[in-house]
Amino acid sequence: MKPRIAAAGCGAAFGFLITWGQFADPDRIRQMLLLEDAYLYEMMASAVLVAFLGLRLLRRRHARALIGGAPVALERNPVEPRHLGGALLFGVGWAVTDSCPAPIASQLAQGVLWSLFTIAGVLLGIQAFLGFRRRAF
Amino acid sequence: MANVANVLTTRPPALVLGPLIGLVVLALAALLGNRIGALGGYSEVLERATGRAPEFGWKAWFLFGILGGSLLWRVAAGGSELGSGFGWLTRNLSNPASAILLVAGGALIGYGAKTAGGCTSGNGLGGCSAGSPASIAATMTFMATAIAASFAIKAVTG
Repeated sequence: MKPRIAAAGCGAAFGFLITWGQFADPDRIRQMLLLEDAYLYEMMASAVLVAFLGLRLLRRRHARALIGGAPVALERNPVEPRHLGGALLFGVGWAVTDSCPAPIASQLAQGVLWSLFTIAGVLLGIQAFLGFRRRAF
Repeated sequence: MANVANVLTTRPPALVLGPLIGLVVLALAALLGNRIGALGGYSEVLERATGRAPEFGWKAWFLFGILGGSLLWRVAAGGSELGSGFGWLTRNLSNPASAILLVAGGALIGYGAKTAGGCTSGNGLGGCSAGSPASIAATMTFMATAIAASFAIKAVTG
């Protein structure tokens, strides 16, 4: 039960903050991707800086998760072609819909019914990936 | 309440919001040892619905939390400011064409992010904060691609 509450609580904080930052507004995302608005980049850079420093501290202390006791050191993976190819497809989808997975959920919560089409597409894409992986391995 | 609504309907400075989001990334790591990510929640919901997984994992609960937190913002702010249209799509295209492009774009998001091992939050926030080379490369790639594709769309639609 505790892990669920912790995950949902972190999700709620995240959802509240991205909605406040207007990341659910497709026109805002478009302005940022057309480099007319630096907000996204400033937010991402400062978020990563804070989290990077904090995670480094936790890693150095060999911290364990408060719930469950798993090591806090998050994975560091070497670059593979799939990371670039997948990100390429993702980037096109992001630009077409001016939405990405967390803001899509925020749109739904705010009653933007267009998000239902994007969600249907996301689930189709995941299904295609899972189906492909099952056949491939 | 009116004051709360005023604060919430104005974007906070990016350099205030960013560190707060960074703290959420940290909290998820410190509490559960997990890397933040929104796409995994959709995947877990699908895997549960199709019988691939017996129950929701933490990623699904994180996604439910995003829904709840966004709803909370909406209630506290006194409603959504988003209109009935949807960005450049409905301004330039018919409703059916917009819907088709949203499904197609969503499919690229779902398939692409699963392949790349994360979305804007998973790779962009979580993986980059962990210093993962794969996430840093993926983030630079999807940022550059999305910027290029947005300019291409603007060139076509004006």
